[in-house]
Amino acid sequence: MSSRTFTYLGPNIASVDAVMSGSAVMADGTSLRSWRFGDGFNNDRTVPSPVIEAIEGQTVEVTLTSMMPHTIHFHGLDVNQANDGVGSTSGFVSQNPPGGGFGRVEGYTNLGSPFTYTFTAPHAGTYMYHCHVDTVLHLEMGMYGTVIVRPPDGSPTTAWESGPTFDREYVWHLHTFDSTWHFDQGPFISGPATVRHRPDFFLINGRDGVQTLYDPTTAITASAGEKVLIRATNVGYQPAVIQLGGLEFDVIASDGRPLRSTVQTDVQMIVPGERYDLLLTMPEGTDTQATVDYYDIRLGGILGTATTSVKAIIFADGFESGDTSRW
Amino acid sequence: MNRRDFLTAGLSGAAAFSLSGLTRAVPRRFTEAIVDVTLVAESVTKATIDGELIPVWQFRDASGGGGPGALTSGLVVETGDTLSVTVQNNLDRAINFVIPGALTGTTAVDPGNSQLYSFPAPAAGSYFYTDGINGEIGRAMGLAGPLVVMPQGDPGRLYPGGPTFDRQYTLVLNELDDRLNTAIDTGQPYDMVDYEPNYFFVNGLSFPDTASDADTLVAMNQGEDVALRLINAGAITNPMHFHGYHVEVATRDRTPETVVVDKDTILVRLEECADVILPVTQAGAFPLHTHFVPGVTANGVYVNPVGGALIILSAT
Repeated sequence: MSSRTFTYLGPNIASVDAVMSGSAVMADGTSLRSWRFGDGFNNDRTVPSPVIEAIEGQTVEVTLTSMMPHTIHFHGLDVNQANDGVGSTSGFVSQNPPGGGFGRVEGYTNLGSPFTYTFTAPHAGTYMYHCHVDTVLHLEMGMYGTVIVRPPDGSPTTAWESGPTFDREYVWHLHTFDSTWHFDQGPFISGPATVRHRPDFFLINGRDGVQTLYDPTTAITASAGEKVLIRATNVGYQPAVIQLGGLEFDVIASDGRPLRSTVQTDVQMIVPGERYDLLLTMPEGTDTQATVDYYDIRLGGILGTATTSVKAIIFADGFESGDTSRW
Repeated sequence: MNRRDFLTAGLSGAAAFSLSGLTRAVPRRFTEAIVDVTLVAESVTKATIDGELIPVWQFRDASGGGGPGALTSGLVVETGDTLSVTVQNNLDRAINFVIPGALTGTTAVDPGNSQLYSFPAPAAGSYFYTDGINGEIGRAMGLAGPLVVMPQGDPGRLYPGGPTFDRQYTLVLNELDDRLNTAIDTGQPYDMVDYEPNYFFVNGLSFPDTASDADTLVAMNQGEDVALRLINAGAITNPMHFHGYHVEVATRDRTPETVVVDKDTILVRLEECADVILPVTQAGAFPLHTHFVPGVTANGVYVNPVGGALIILSAT
């Protein structure tokens, strides 16, 4: 069994189109117009965008082709200005490059011509990429994904060089949708309509409600005693609080860097733009539900919750794998 | 004079905040051991980056000294100083003068009156002062200013024995919901539960004005360690994301951070002061902005030339 529970592009080389067609289908049947990079997360949904993997210390080349103004910002990867994907300061895929921007450097191409972002992969860990053009709308529409940097030896089961190891690996994109921002037809909304975000769908990996409960990319299944790494990224506009049904876990890293000391807890808050790497050792007999509570930006109350299952695998004979005391 | 020109003219005469960009030798703002200042609490009209005129409140330093950016007051003192702050209240309601974490429960001052607040400088670190008796409305209306306490005789550190830095900037975060300002201005009721801001500021400025202000454009040299004092004087939490760099969180509310230190995105909670050290590892121009992305807009617009709580880190 592969440790990964998702498909990915790479390592190090990826090419994506900016796609402005398609929709995300919610558990209640609501279809929300969405945008994305590439073929969508796990090749089976539109939103989020696919995982891109890279190897620490190696050169990464991500090529974007777009017929509309979009960029890729490599969030947390500390790339140089030319590859930072910010319209006013760096590379920009646009027909008419904006003039007079602050400290602007060359790095744009014309619409339809591929632009390749190039950088050296930093410290192994969890990062993001997303569009930085009219960001408030383009993020909401789904133009974001996770970047995983593997240690220098490329190991898919080691968090960083000489760091913790794991058996199973999940990516949890935490996000919400305000359905009024996703018009089915006609012009995109903008201006005052995109400043007060009132989410009505609460998601992990583009799924909500009963979809999330058993989605294979969100629902955690592992044998008792196995180590499960959850790479949580918050790309939404609300702080989120993660709980694994009361199970204790180790917080080992945030924002692509190890914590100075591991924190053992049963709850972790993650705010927009942050990443946390959570390491769970699956307890014997686990059959519970993890919750992600989304709060308003004033932390005044829970707006909604995404729920997924956490289960220790049980074989047909009723014994749990790894439970050697009962064999 | 159009609205933008009005704003620009209003800024051009302001002196730069005494801390911004300074290298190790930080001159004292006041040479006396007793720091005397008069703060006038008043209602004024603020021109937003997209040209709206919105009534806000402010503390204005009667001496004309000003604070960072467009803020009209700000205090820089040393440990061992005594502060003697006179508040002249020209607002329509009673207020007081508090410093979260250092000075609370102080005497109120009625409209039209003044009140002296005298107290020793608190421990070295970053603070802000505001009104403490109108709930969050004082902060949401802009009634706040930064207080930076430097360790006496050790101006290159955040606190005695703490991390060193080569230069420092004070970045005050706040925002407004124009529906609140309108309600206050017209005497209508407003419940802070309904607070959903639509304009966002660093040092009272929105992008791109943040990039042309000497206190708010963070100018750095490669190889330096730059101290950034992120002060949340508003009424929402602020997840601040650094492009180009990871930073080291030094303190939160003057308490050293020892576990979750190396970050590119840090939450600055309500009323929190987060001091970070930015090791300048590369040259270039990079944004520092809230990742509550509505906060990088001006009333929802994030298209040149307007924006919100986004500043530029510029390293040579």
